[in-house]
Amino acid sequence: MEALVGWWDDFFWGSKVVAEVFISSLGLTILFGLIGAAAKLSNSNIAKKFAGAYTVIFRGTPEILVILLFYFGLALALTSIAQVFDPDVKFIDIPPFWSGTIAISIIVGSYATETFRGAFLGVNSGSVEAAHALGLNKFQTFIYIRIPEMWRIALPPFGNHMLSLVKDTALISVIGLNETLFVAKQAITVTGKPFTMYIVVGAIYLGFSSVITLTVMGLEKFGERTTVISK
Amino acid sequence: MNINFSLIIESLPEMLMGFGITLKLLFVSGFLGLILAITLLLMRLSGKFYLDWPAQVYIYVFRGTPILVQIFIIYYGLPQFDTIRESIFWPILREPTGCAILALTLNTGAYVSEILRGGVLAVDRGLLEAASALGMSARHKFIYITTPIATRIALPAYSNDVVSLLKSTALASTITITDMTGIARTIVSETYAPYEIFISLAIVYMICTFGIQKLFGFFEKILSRYTIREA
Repeated sequence: MEALVGWWDDFFWGSKVVAEVFISSLGLTILFGLIGAAAKLSNSNIAKKFAGAYTVIFRGTPEILVILLFYFGLALALTSIAQVFDPDVKFIDIPPFWSGTIAISIIVGSYATETFRGAFLGVNSGSVEAAHALGLNKFQTFIYIRIPEMWRIALPPFGNHMLSLVKDTALISVIGLNETLFVAKQAITVTGKPFTMYIVVGAIYLGFSSVITLTVMGLEKFGERTTVISK
Repeated sequence: MNINFSLIIESLPEMLMGFGITLKLLFVSGFLGLILAITLLLMRLSGKFYLDWPAQVYIYVFRGTPILVQIFIIYYGLPQFDTIRESIFWPILREPTGCAILALTLNTGAYVSEILRGGVLAVDRGLLEAASALGMSARHKFIYITTPIATRIALPAYSNDVVSLLKSTALASTITITDMTGIARTIVSETYAPYEIFISLAIVYMICTFGIQKLFGFFEKILSRYTIREA
């Protein structure tokens, strides 16, 4: 354990990066998931095809490949776009934080698309009809009826998506994000204690997973507080 | 952006050289992981706390930490101890392939045992009561009633896990294994053509995913040949 002395604060800043990636990618995941679900449920054939391709592509390719592609690919693409406007630009570097965050949100967003689609389909049609009968317009029905019913259905699988988001954060260390796994690598080169350092990383991620699991459990309880359990 | 097709044609055979290693990782750790999962399942179903508890803790830890951290702990971490370097397991743990297979097995075992447990718990209670009424012992019930039905119920979820195992094998490239992703990363670092290489590799993985899904769809058809579909 004495090998860890002096590294605790580095692990703390690494954990902060994990939390930041998690929070920003959570927002983006929900956004991508909702857009995908909206496209899949829309009447437009083109939108359906695009959303179908989106889920097939990102559910079928390894996460690490998407992260690498975004990191190297986005930098190249942005550089070539920038060179159109300013030929003097040599290279634009994308911070690993954003390319990694966007990559994992797009991947998990493709899973969330299916979850949200199922949840919207699971909304009781009787409630929607009742809302129409009461004179609520489409927008009001969406906000007051569909969303409150839908998030309760989507929550258990979405909890799993949140867990994969936080675990995918570890993969971003491959492109140089200074999260806990990256800190551990630095610590190992100094102390030569790989097992100790990686166990600490594992414990940190286990802590994050536990917090998410407990939060989801609490939210599920909160969602069910007004549900009448029929026997 | 102009895509260099000759580069794709040139490097695709090179990448496919790693296909064998990817398949080996998939099959060996998939098979061993299934055995581990069944062991964990039986431990959890035993109803004895000294078997149930360790299995629960194991599943919690391995599902709560990133697979990349698990791979690093096994490959970089374990050699920290002299006892491991002198033990009989050292020939396996010295090789990156052995470590990758071990890590993937331990990881997928935890996930699959939960899937199988879901299948076992979903078996209709009426059937088990009928079996009891016919005088079947607990062991007979498990082998002749629970196992076939639970297999059929768990199969779709299991096929998803095989797909995520395939995607996890790409992480083996982080510990110097030259699987498809490892070779692709080498080529990208030499040619700096991330689009061509990574996108064509992504297509290869997608074809594999598609194949796995079709294969399991076929298994499902075989297993459910006697089920009556309620119209």
